[in-house]
Amino acid sequence: MGLGALLLLYYGLPLIALLITQSPAELGERLADAQVRRAALVSLGAAGTTTVLSALLGLPLAYGLARGPDWWTTPVTALVVLPLVFPPIVSGMLLLSVFGPSTWIGSAAATAGLPLTRSFAAVVLAQTFVASPFTVITAKSAFEGVPRRYEQASRLLGTGRWTTLRRVTLPLAAPGVAAGLLLTFARSMGEFGATLMVAYYPRTLPVQIWVAFTTLGLDSAFPVAAVLALLSILVLVLLNRLGPNAWE
Amino acid sequence: MLRLRALTKRYASFALGPLSLDVGAEVVGVLGPSGSGKSTLLSLVSGTETPDDGTVHLNGTALGPCPLETRGTARVFQTSALFPHLTARENIEYAAPTPERVDELAALLEIEEVLDQRARTLSGGENRRVEVARALASDPAVLLLDEPTAGLDTPVRRRLRGHFRRLLRDLRIPVLYVTHNQAEASTVADRVAVLQDGELQQVGPPAEVFNRPATTFVARFTGNPNVFPARLVSASSGPRVEWNGARLAVPATDLPPDTDVWLCIRPEQVELCPEDDPPASPNVIEATVAQHIFRGGEHVVVLHVGDEGDEASLQARVLPSTARVLDVDRGDRIHVRLSPDPLHLIRR
Repeated sequence: MGLGALLLLYYGLPLIALLITQSPAELGERLADAQVRRAALVSLGAAGTTTVLSALLGLPLAYGLARGPDWWTTPVTALVVLPLVFPPIVSGMLLLSVFGPSTWIGSAAATAGLPLTRSFAAVVLAQTFVASPFTVITAKSAFEGVPRRYEQASRLLGTGRWTTLRRVTLPLAAPGVAAGLLLTFARSMGEFGATLMVAYYPRTLPVQIWVAFTTLGLDSAFPVAAVLALLSILVLVLLNRLGPNAWE
Repeated sequence: MLRLRALTKRYASFALGPLSLDVGAEVVGVLGPSGSGKSTLLSLVSGTETPDDGTVHLNGTALGPCPLETRGTARVFQTSALFPHLTARENIEYAAPTPERVDELAALLEIEEVLDQRARTLSGGENRRVEVARALASDPAVLLLDEPTAGLDTPVRRRLRGHFRRLLRDLRIPVLYVTHNQAEASTVADRVAVLQDGELQQVGPPAEVFNRPATTFVARFTGNPNVFPARLVSASSGPRVEWNGARLAVPATDLPPDTDVWLCIRPEQVELCPEDDPPASPNVIEATVAQHIFRGGEHVVVLHVGDEGDEASLQARVLPSTARVLDVDRGDRIHVRLSPDPLHLIRR
């Protein structure tokens, strides 16, 4: 318990230092800055979109991994974890090599009016690559934690696969799934390296912090960082309160 | 009619079958020790496992290709499969066509008072009843129960047994009731199927399986410790067996004379006689009391029969109401009567 408190302190101190060193006036001024407000909206919008995409695409994959045969689970899990291993800059480089303007996918998408670099879609692509594995891995564990006999019992009572998934599996896996989505959202809010590579514009808050730091110095970057921290805390607390726990 | 034909499932360290069994509108108790394949059998019938060979037919229809939800085989799992995020009522509603059916089943299984409790807060006995109610709510064509009283206290288990007996027999559908408890199987089932190492050893009415076991495993597993090597001989007055120096009359048998056999003596059929009043009837032998244990509902007396050093241990179970047995103690020499009719022979 004491050791845990030490770690908690280690997490909390920098955050407290960040927040108490910023005067409300400075924060207000930053929030009034159109660039910062635009970056905050891009960050919230992209992180939200990434979280929804991770749920839509990641949960079926997580379920497939949880219930699939070993020969499939092991290599696919390794592939899912890979983006977590790469430095985000490398992830950005890899994304550029697939979706960059000179690639056939990138040029086709740009021609169709959906550029995959320097766009909101590019931010979401970068965040999804880096942050969605949190949803897949955490939800996989959550699905594995639901004993198969519940699903078997449901189906033997005459209920189909999808209804069983909706009425039995998902409610029981919900705490883990919600935790995975929270992690994805949090990681997306803080995503910087891959985003910087594929979408310098539109700026997210982390990119805006970087720009403020490199152009105006540390003192100018801190208030934007405080905005990012406050927004993230607010959304995470809200999401956490919404997260159901069927076991309780 | 549930018809299993040459049903086979192979794992790395265990194989079930080939197993064939017909189950009509009756309760068949599947009896066997842990690891004998009882739960595997239910998994193959319910479709949660796929057989390597063999078929499952229900009323003439092959169940092999049917998805779980259309098989009509409701299952009560050994470990509770009530949905923990739902109340008892919601669990039953999950399968029940109407709210009236929920109330009807709740009354039948005497669970009205716990209907609004979350499943995970139910006691063991309540949990089992709700799970049976939920299984019945789906109006199954076959009901599979996997150790439905496992892990419960003895009084609760006994009460549930009686309850299930009445309930299941009234269903008039094929019911497979898996248990490792021979008393439970004989209480609940119309017929008993004994499994050992994935193979059916014997199928028949409980009394037949208990009193006329087909193998020494069935004899011992159904609670008979008195299984002895003996030899069948012929005599002018009828068949006899030679066992530890005694020559005992046995019922008429198809086995030829001079056959090595296993002699099975149900411990309830061993009659202790006072030393000073040896009955003038056949099959009375002398024995020495080795142990006398009071086990609550019965006395267990272990007797040594035969010459010292080569004696057999014969167990007698006697009800406390047989008062005179209470006097016997270790070392006493007494007479024992083994009525011929209950003696059973298995070819060695």
